[in-house]
Amino acid sequence: MKSGTRLENGIITAFTLIVGLVWIFPLYWSFLTSVRSEENVVTEPGIVPDEFNLSSYVDALFNTKLLTWYFNSIGTAVIVTVVVLVISMMCAYAISQMQFPGRKLLYLVVLASFMVPAQALVVTQFILMNDLGLINTWAGIILPQLIVPVVIIVYKQFFDAVPKEMREAAVLDGGGEYTILFKVYLPLNWGITTALAIVTFIGVWNSFFWPFLVITSEDMMTIPVGITQVTDAFGIAYARLMAVAMLAALPVVLAYLVFQRRVTEAVMISSGVKG
Amino acid sequence: MGVRLKNVRKSFGTTQVVHDVSMDIPTGGFAVFVGPSGCGKSTLLRMIAGLEETSGGQIEIEDRDVTTVEPAKRGVAMVFQSYALYPHLSVFENMAFSLRLARAPKAEVTRTVGEAARILQLEEHLDKKPSQLSGGQRQRVAIGRAIVRQPKVFLFDEPLSNLDAELRVQMRLELTRLHRKIGATMIYVTHDQVEAMTLADKIFVLRDGIVQQAGSPLELYDDPDNRFVAGFIGSPAMNFFPVKVTADDGTYLTLTTLGAGNHGIRSVLKGARPEIGTELVAGIRPEHFELVDGGLPVRIEVAEELGDVSYLYSRMEDNTEVIVERHGSRDLLDGKMVGLSAQPEHVLIFDRSGQRLR
Repeated sequence: MKSGTRLENGIITAFTLIVGLVWIFPLYWSFLTSVRSEENVVTEPGIVPDEFNLSSYVDALFNTKLLTWYFNSIGTAVIVTVVVLVISMMCAYAISQMQFPGRKLLYLVVLASFMVPAQALVVTQFILMNDLGLINTWAGIILPQLIVPVVIIVYKQFFDAVPKEMREAAVLDGGGEYTILFKVYLPLNWGITTALAIVTFIGVWNSFFWPFLVITSEDMMTIPVGITQVTDAFGIAYARLMAVAMLAALPVVLAYLVFQRRVTEAVMISSGVKG
Repeated sequence: MGVRLKNVRKSFGTTQVVHDVSMDIPTGGFAVFVGPSGCGKSTLLRMIAGLEETSGGQIEIEDRDVTTVEPAKRGVAMVFQSYALYPHLSVFENMAFSLRLARAPKAEVTRTVGEAARILQLEEHLDKKPSQLSGGQRQRVAIGRAIVRQPKVFLFDEPLSNLDAELRVQMRLELTRLHRKIGATMIYVTHDQVEAMTLADKIFVLRDGIVQQAGSPLELYDDPDNRFVAGFIGSPAMNFFPVKVTADDGTYLTLTTLGAGNHGIRSVLKGARPEIGTELVAGIRPEHFELVDGGLPVRIEVAEELGDVSYLYSRMEDNTEVIVERHGSRDLLDGKMVGLSAQPEHVLIFDRSGQRLR
């Protein structure tokens, strides 16, 4: 690519910097609020750090059910991630590699379901969960989140790209379909599996709407839902609210920092930017 | 019998790609399926492997009907054109894959893989990943993976196509040595007639899903059944030109070229005699032409000098291309007119449908 003039580069850098600052400001503001006392937050608002008070974090950890919510969030997110990946991988493998009647129709159904917004299904899903007696349970949170068509589509795309001789060689070596999937196709697509796992995990961790509907008991809440309880319990306690929000975001931020490259790759793949 | 096919057919939808193929390949034999792209040779091989279902007929391996037996239980191993090595596994694990699936004891896996690695000189590469190997080494790993299964029949699907010319010659030689060493039945698919000629005990020439002729390499070269086989086997290819029968003394036919003047050539014919005036096609191999005064006149367009041999790319008066092979002479012949002749026993004749008259 042709590099621009010094002025052009300067303008682009300045613009990027401004957009970056606008982007990071809410996070900075939240962090700043979380480390100030409740009084200062209300009486002396400002954007310059003037104190470093961790009392809100202590409060959040010991006077709320944050650890329970953490446990619920981690438990549901891990289960959803593992189950979504395994069933999506198996579905994609079948559509991509096996020959059976209705294969194309099945793929069309997957594609069609990709086009139905989750919100459109909320009412029926809630009624179903209620009928099954799964309100206020992990199963109630988990089950409706298990069908993620985009994961199937991305996996199919990657499985299609594996040379068919690879499968045939494994068939001749005596491998059954499960062996071929888990010993050949999965290791060959380990990169995309990791990326999809992270994106799915972050998506489930951040999901608010469905858990908010299906969970009413404070002991079964996930972190995003639990945050609403902090507001209720302390009135408008900004510092504590922001402290909980910071703690809630922490695992996702850490996961992102560790797997930054994979997350970017996954987002690009699942949005169709990169194939 | 190593492999026996009885009236094997294959159709994809309404398109039949393999037509009633029957063949016998003896145990320990090296058979080569050769033919142009789309002739059905790979499909036939894949049917023997069990990777394609048969639409009809029967496949036997070591006298056992395997037509509906699943691939892994047929006693075959296949080497693919793309090698199909598992990139995430080491050379050792690639070769051990089938044994591990069969839950072979660890000691047996080590011994069997070690033995195959020794035969293929891969011992120092066992810990490497396929991406760290050269093309030839990868091909050897693919062969090693087949060897460890101790199959009754080895199937090779154009295994040398991805290698450069020099390596191909080397690997060809290694395959011949390997065949002699382990003595298993081998079936090899290629579109390269040189590979077919050098490797095979028996060549099956296919075209449009039909076996055109089966026989030893020299049988096919010297005594082709039809114009297709005559043209396909041999490099440079046999020259063909239209002729008319002008005389018949009971042993020799006198033929006159059509379109390129009326030059006479003679051919030996033992069987049924065509009528005088019948139009036929004559076929003469490049090395069987002689340069003589008063012979069939051709103009040499390009003379390729390869040292010991030269190829004269020439044209007859009617523009038919003729390739002549000469040994030992290095005279500059570009653009010159020369006369060609051939001994009657080297002039093969074919009827209008391409069938050989003998």
